[in-house]
Amino acid sequence: MEELILLDALGASGPYHSRSRQTITELTGTPVAELSLVPRLFVQRTMAALREARALPPGDRSAALARAGRLFATGTVNGIPAEEYQHIVSRVSGMPITVVRSATAGIGRRAGEAYRTTRHARPQGAVDDWRDPLTCDGHAVWTRRGDVFAVHAAGNHPGVHTLWLEALALGYRVAVRPSRREPFTPHRLITALRESGFGEDQVVLLPTDYAVADDIIRDADLAMVYGGEEVVNKYGNDVRVLPQGPGRSKILLTGGDWESHLGTIVDSVSAFGGTACVNTTAVFVEGDPAPVADAVAERLAAIPSLPPEDDGAVLPVQPVADARAIEKYLLDHVDGATPVLGGDGVVDELGDGSGVLRPAVFRVDRPDAPQTGIELSFPCVWFAPWSRADGIEPLRNTLVLTAITKDDGLVDRLVEDPSIRNVYLGDTPTYLMPPGVPHDAYLGEFLMRTKGVIRT
Amino acid sequence: MATEQILDCPLDQVPEGPEFLEAAMRWHFSPETGSPYWLERAKTLGFDPREDVRTFDDLRRFPNVANELRDVRVEDLIPRGYGPDADVVGVFESGGTTGPPKRVVVLRDWLERLMHRTEQDLQARGYPESGHWLSLGPTGPHVFGELVRWQAARRGGIRFTVDMDPRWVKRCIAEGRADEAERYAEHLIDQSAYILETQDVRVLVTTPPLLTRLARRNALVDLVNAKIAAISWGGAHMDPDTRYLLRTEVFPGVKLYGTYGSTMILGGLAERVTSPDEDIVVFDTFSPYITFSVVDQETGGVVRYGDRGQVVMHHVSKSFLLPNNLERDLATRVAPPPGQMGDSVADVGPLPTFDNEPVIEGVY
Repeated sequence: MEELILLDALGASGPYHSRSRQTITELTGTPVAELSLVPRLFVQRTMAALREARALPPGDRSAALARAGRLFATGTVNGIPAEEYQHIVSRVSGMPITVVRSATAGIGRRAGEAYRTTRHARPQGAVDDWRDPLTCDGHAVWTRRGDVFAVHAAGNHPGVHTLWLEALALGYRVAVRPSRREPFTPHRLITALRESGFGEDQVVLLPTDYAVADDIIRDADLAMVYGGEEVVNKYGNDVRVLPQGPGRSKILLTGGDWESHLGTIVDSVSAFGGTACVNTTAVFVEGDPAPVADAVAERLAAIPSLPPEDDGAVLPVQPVADARAIEKYLLDHVDGATPVLGGDGVVDELGDGSGVLRPAVFRVDRPDAPQTGIELSFPCVWFAPWSRADGIEPLRNTLVLTAITKDDGLVDRLVEDPSIRNVYLGDTPTYLMPPGVPHDAYLGEFLMRTKGVIRT
Repeated sequence: MATEQILDCPLDQVPEGPEFLEAAMRWHFSPETGSPYWLERAKTLGFDPREDVRTFDDLRRFPNVANELRDVRVEDLIPRGYGPDADVVGVFESGGTTGPPKRVVVLRDWLERLMHRTEQDLQARGYPESGHWLSLGPTGPHVFGELVRWQAARRGGIRFTVDMDPRWVKRCIAEGRADEAERYAEHLIDQSAYILETQDVRVLVTTPPLLTRLARRNALVDLVNAKIAAISWGGAHMDPDTRYLLRTEVFPGVKLYGTYGSTMILGGLAERVTSPDEDIVVFDTFSPYITFSVVDQETGGVVRYGDRGQVVMHHVSKSFLLPNNLERDLATRVAPPPGQMGDSVADVGPLPTFDNEPVIEGVY
């Protein structure tokens, strides 16, 4: 058996190899790594050290981020070359290797852009430094709301680790609690950041069990937490916490021409193996959704079942027991919807203890059917009929809404609705996340505030 | 030897295990000397302890009657052999995690025996000969704070105390009021600060969670390092990483020793003295009075040395009998030192509780 990879906690005075460790297994159950779990005492001491630490000057942060991005995406970190890292992530998370590769490149690129990206969020009326001549007559200076930022990360897609890089760019000291499902990405990224100029007391990795997780948030000034509805319910009223809840991304298709948008719908459902919050989980069709659902199902059905490390893999893979649990959840919640694809089950076992989660397509008979809110971590989409009379209510509570419509009045209402966070128009897939376009508002809006400065 | 001679053997002597057990069974199950509770309970045991319980293993024949101690009148727990003027030191109650509290009675002769042993333990661990003690933990109906009071008094010190009501903390958490439990815990630390700031305290006795919380305040860490010679922790599990950090980073010059105890054994046991590099906490027992077995959770059979199992506690003394009490703790079974009946235990921790059902919905 190969030697296990040791994923130490990355504390404020260096890596910490703890006595309490969790074994990380790949899809077949074979152990691949041991993740050090730190106790509460370690967490509180580390968070205190972050608070004491100074931030690097802005120019140094920007340069270090760019270096770290290159190292992360192409170099050898902790003895692990990029290709090997990608293979491990694919084999542990079940995410198709091509998705991991593009995520790796994306993280590298985003690190290099992180500082510049934060500029988008700065109000036009604010300057970065009190020394700016504009403050002589009185002006706003853009300042941090705190010093220490905590992240409860998710393991669904490596790309979740691009966002907090902006906090680092803005001078926050950052503590990341990795997902125990996929701790490799943050471990590699934070190691790369430390090798590229950030201090050990400026960015840390704190793997903990569930009981200690809240301590990281308590001891931070601000925090970002990934999770489902329960996370939104738990932290929704805490002004210090930015929940990254369900995506429930949707497509609205009006007008008779759906054939030319078929590719966009299929890609929106299945990109990233369907594991991202920007994947489409519901499609609302003006008119009869059945032919659209049939055509989408036909395309999705043609995707082959492959192990995730195969260059041709598109679908996510899970250990069979986990895959079956997701399948059971889906089938338990069909609740009268019409199956178009996957109604008899979605798991295709690969014979090595892992199973592909194959796409599922269902039709519901009304736009407010509760199933349209079900978001699962594989390509699973619900088609519903929609008419102008239904209004925007079924389209609300959405991270990305692609609206294929010529009705500008409708678009006005979608753009104005606060529960729809991004509106993409025309033949635009929901998964697009170009730099400069906010993901769920700019993180900088949460991290920063303006402060009046007048010099006399 | 006569029954009472064995049971009342001099404090500095250790009676032979089998001989002691036979004497204890005679005492607790003879109509003239046994407690009303055990004499009544014996009728439904299906065996006669005076005949059938002769070895340490035979203690496992008893049913676990701990739950019955929630309802028994405390008078009925006192062996008749003590006569009408039994010297009751106190009645103590369990934490109340699983329903109404269980009650035990501590008599003077047991206290003397336990304190003699404790005194030896403190000596061997180099606790300060004088100075005051601070108990930051349960008092009230719980034996925790009382043990500290007796220990301090033995060494001529004063016990200062900050009371924690563990039942209230458990209730807050059970009701989802973590913020209330948090406020309460901070209130306890605030109070301990007043004592640490003003009094000549040399020994701190507290629980691992409170010790971790105290370590959040730099000023208190400095005070402890300046004033405290030894910290005793107990009442909850301490994970090995926390212990390592406390010993190496937070309180490097302070002795740190664990105590493993329970209301149901009427006392606590000090951590075995090992070399500082040993990364393991072992508890030897106070044989033949307080003894342990480490058993398989499924089969109930004793596990092999080095394996983990559930802890079974036995208390057998003249004043009290509670054999075969399965505790909600897991431990590694460790070979006992020479002369000790039953097992020693290491790495004691709570039984794992099942986490919430895995969350399936959502992409995270």
